[in-house]
Amino acid sequence: MILAPRFRQGMKAAIPIWIAFVPSSIAWGIAAQAHGLRFDEIVLMSAWVYSGPAQFAVLEPLATGKSSLQVLIAGTLMNLRFVPMSAALAPYFAGVRRLKLLLSCHFVSASSFIVPYIQFQKERESGSKTDEKKPREGEHNVYFFLGVGVTSFFIWVVGSGVGYGVALGVPRRFDEALKFILPGYFAGLLVIEMRGWTMRLICLASLLVAVPAATLSPEWGWITVAALIAVVGWGMEQWKQLAS
Amino acid sequence: MEATRLVIILIMGALAFAARALPQIFFLGRTFPPAWDRFLRYLSYAFICSIVSTTLFMSGGRFESDAVPHRAVALIATIVVARRTKSAVTGMIIGAALVSLLSWIY
Repeated sequence: MILAPRFRQGMKAAIPIWIAFVPSSIAWGIAAQAHGLRFDEIVLMSAWVYSGPAQFAVLEPLATGKSSLQVLIAGTLMNLRFVPMSAALAPYFAGVRRLKLLLSCHFVSASSFIVPYIQFQKERESGSKTDEKKPREGEHNVYFFLGVGVTSFFIWVVGSGVGYGVALGVPRRFDEALKFILPGYFAGLLVIEMRGWTMRLICLASLLVAVPAATLSPEWGWITVAALIAVVGWGMEQWKQLAS
Repeated sequence: MEATRLVIILIMGALAFAARALPQIFFLGRTFPPAWDRFLRYLSYAFICSIVSTTLFMSGGRFESDAVPHRAVALIATIVVARRTKSAVTGMIIGAALVSLLSWIY
């Protein structure tokens, strides 16, 4: 089952994520070790929390012995971004058994959301053009998602463990390329699938405003502004349709 | 493993799991009306663009102004190449090579 073609297709699509996860997971392992976390704590946190930004966010409060509530609030605020991501994926998993779905959703992360989401959109659009209905579409989608999610998760956890003992000595110019891989890949995926002026404007506005918003509020700024831009764009489109 | 830290990690993971699992339970297989479907799509795309922007231009909550010019040029090159070749990987490779080259030159 695990070698299902759909799972392999997901694995293939996840390769750029793996490349990007290697340095960031090792960097997290190094940072966690430097903040006094032990090997088992580092691996457990990577495997059970599996959220880079949240893991980085709680390092300092954990190391300085801040209150548990404060650490949990910091982590949870970062992880709330999974709610809209998971909600956007849910319609594509129709017919999947609940237990399988519950186990699968542990692998939802920003990266493992973007790649399958865009793939499902593309397939749904090409399916609606040909009026082709795939049997067990939800199952097919879940295997693609797992191909992306499980393998990326594995890289993240192993990388964190490796980072515990290894210092990262990548020259700056390679560092730049590694940093670029993930956003570059996402931008490429997005631009291929982009259709209509509303979507283009929403994307451009989000791209431009995210950084100032994140500077003002690192946890909530970019997500709030992205949601606002989507609401405004969608509202204007609805208004235009009603007027015409 | 220190008990307090273990408890914090376990609770944090459980909360992260809830954030991932609850929408799957509530929205599983639902077909939204076309307008809502479009809204979810716009919301997702806005999130993705924000993630691209913050991942590329920020580090540790700080705006990396020095790196903006060459990363922005590389991003534009990625977008153009990906759009023309219909290949996200080709665009990403060109962009990564360009950002390396520019950071090496400047």
